[in-house]
Amino acid sequence: MAWLEASAAGHVMRDTGVWTYAIVNLFHLIGIAGLFGAICFLDLRLLCVWRSIPLGMISRPAVNVAGTGLGLAAVTGVFLLATKAREYSDNSFLLPKFVFIVLALLNLAVLHLTPSWRAHRGRDLTQKEYRGLAIFGATSLVFWLGAITCGRLIGYW
Amino acid sequence: MPKRILAAAALVAFFAMPAAAHHGWSGQEEKVTELTGTVTKGVSLAGPHGEMQIKVGTVLWEVTLAPPARTAAAGLKPGVIPVGATVTVRGNKSTEPGHREMKTILVVHGDKRYAVYPERN
Repeated sequence: MAWLEASAAGHVMRDTGVWTYAIVNLFHLIGIAGLFGAICFLDLRLLCVWRSIPLGMISRPAVNVAGTGLGLAAVTGVFLLATKAREYSDNSFLLPKFVFIVLALLNLAVLHLTPSWRAHRGRDLTQKEYRGLAIFGATSLVFWLGAITCGRLIGYW
Repeated sequence: MPKRILAAAALVAFFAMPAAAHHGWSGQEEKVTELTGTVTKGVSLAGPHGEMQIKVGTVLWEVTLAPPARTAAAGLKPGVIPVGATVTVRGNKSTEPGHREMKTILVVHGDKRYAVYPERN
């Protein structure tokens, strides 16, 4: 972690002014808001809320906004860590946060591999297929909420 | 529906009026105390809070200051107080056993007073 702290990113965070950390933190938050808001639509639909709306009408906007939010959160997150990486690596909430993020992404990958998901943009799914996807909505919510919780609690440790 | 949205907005505005800012003081002692020591790590404004470190006798204390912009606005910037200088810090110590940290509202160096939380002084 010392290399991250000593990197250019670390210098940008520490040496460019008194508002830098706050602004980077702000964009980190905006990214998370976009990610989680969009994920909620996707996951709740997977959990069979709004049955009258085919999954295919929600998934593309939701995935696009969530993906953009995730990208923004990830880039800003690296910069935030670089501010004082060694101290953050001692924070008890840092590792669990990354574990939750990895789990959430693995969950997403497995979802994308299911035949139902692969078919869902071309046709509406059957009740049975929707039921099969519901679990992914549940685990996704748990993992992203876990990541967000741990991320927030970093500041209170 | 629009009436409900307006009502919600009014409620938010009402609670926003006396803006009690997050100060994260819940993990600190109620009473304000002081420490006098020598600076071992000078002021850093890297964020999210300004920080410095002092040595009181043989014990190192973490001095947590205000957020960077407010700390700088109080005149306390990196290099202003040299390492090795004697300072007195006033604030609320951490209640966590073994955690030598003080959320500091005032730093005094010689005849210079840096009130990083003016409303608390």
